[in-house]
Amino acid sequence: MRRRLAGLALALYPLAFRRRYGQEIRVLLDETSPGVLTVLDLLRGALAAHLHPPTGLGSVVDVGDRLRASMSGVLACWVVFAAAGFGFYKTTEDYPYQTAGNSHALLGDAHVGIQVLAILASVAVLAGALPLSVLALHRARRKPSLRMLVSLPIVAVAVFAGLTGVLILVAHSQHSQRPSTAGGVAFIAWGLAGLACGAVCVLASRRALFAMPVARGWLLAAFACGALVTAAMVAMTIATAIYTIALSVDASALAGEPNGPLQATSVSVSLIQQLIVMVAAGVLAGITTRRGWRALSKPDTTAPFSV
Amino acid sequence: MRYTSERSTDPGLLVLTSLAEGPKHGYAITQDVEQLAGVRLGPGTLYGALARLEGNGLIESLPAEDRRRPYRLTGAGSAALSEQLRALQRVARSGLDRLQLAEVSR
Repeated sequence: MRRRLAGLALALYPLAFRRRYGQEIRVLLDETSPGVLTVLDLLRGALAAHLHPPTGLGSVVDVGDRLRASMSGVLACWVVFAAAGFGFYKTTEDYPYQTAGNSHALLGDAHVGIQVLAILASVAVLAGALPLSVLALHRARRKPSLRMLVSLPIVAVAVFAGLTGVLILVAHSQHSQRPSTAGGVAFIAWGLAGLACGAVCVLASRRALFAMPVARGWLLAAFACGALVTAAMVAMTIATAIYTIALSVDASALAGEPNGPLQATSVSVSLIQQLIVMVAAGVLAGITTRRGWRALSKPDTTAPFSV
Repeated sequence: MRYTSERSTDPGLLVLTSLAEGPKHGYAITQDVEQLAGVRLGPGTLYGALARLEGNGLIESLPAEDRRRPYRLTGAGSAALSEQLRALQRVARSGLDRLQLAEVSR
């Protein structure tokens, strides 16, 4: 168990660090019996390697793999961001918020802006992922190892869609419109299932992306979509911050209302929690996009990517 | 209360000191450092230090032997270690001299 945890902690290191030292660290872990302190030491080391990357590792990862890592990093951030975004949507979906938006221009504009950006980012995610997904499906016909990786997201999405359908049916069969504890718990479980589905999609697509050759043009196009998603996340975070402040100032009664799946927090606390997740996801997406951009800006990028 | 100077337990310095004896791989370095300074370097700390030292040209890796890759000091690494140890020696000597003087004057 601890060996597996140590392996997971090792997976958190930057790609270049893992490529250069991962095998040696694995050998060291095999030679010792990793305890909790070893896992914590690896976690601390992973954080330090992200914050202060050692010099001289730039050439360990070629541009193609750097772009692959950036794209899957952005996708992971998007999944987390989308969960917070869905929380924002649920928090502000009711009629009083629409009325407040109509009465106060800043509230209304911020809300519309977030919705437009969410659609734009979702389209960019699809535009970036679709060609690569089609390519993966095509390659999976001839490469058995890819089949499992390609099937996993499909199964995860199908299970999650089924679960969502069941919950909608159950919710419609209940006549009461008042929030209940059982409903709140079901919503939390549904949210966790959604995150698990997202995690499966991210991990499987990442492994598939690294396991198959991709033409330079497709990688660049997908990276550009990832950069657009990152920019949209940053803009949505700013718009959510504006909305949160404007709601507290212009509609303080609404901001103080009970909120959350279990009605345990206020609307403003929920919005701040969602904002924190958005900031974290936006910053991480920005870092990984910047790394991809820097790899592209290197003088030797005219050389063909590894395919 | 036991006090340990951070400088004397700096992972980079300990790794350089261990490699002063000759090339070693990760496991051998942790064993040596534990014997030498009583400090157990975790894999994250050890490879963080190795990566920094290698990036700064103070150590270099040798061809892998049976999945293990040994490291050795470079010329710059020897010079840097020598400089750091001399600085520590100066501090240690001055500190001991001052303690002795304080003992005599009491």
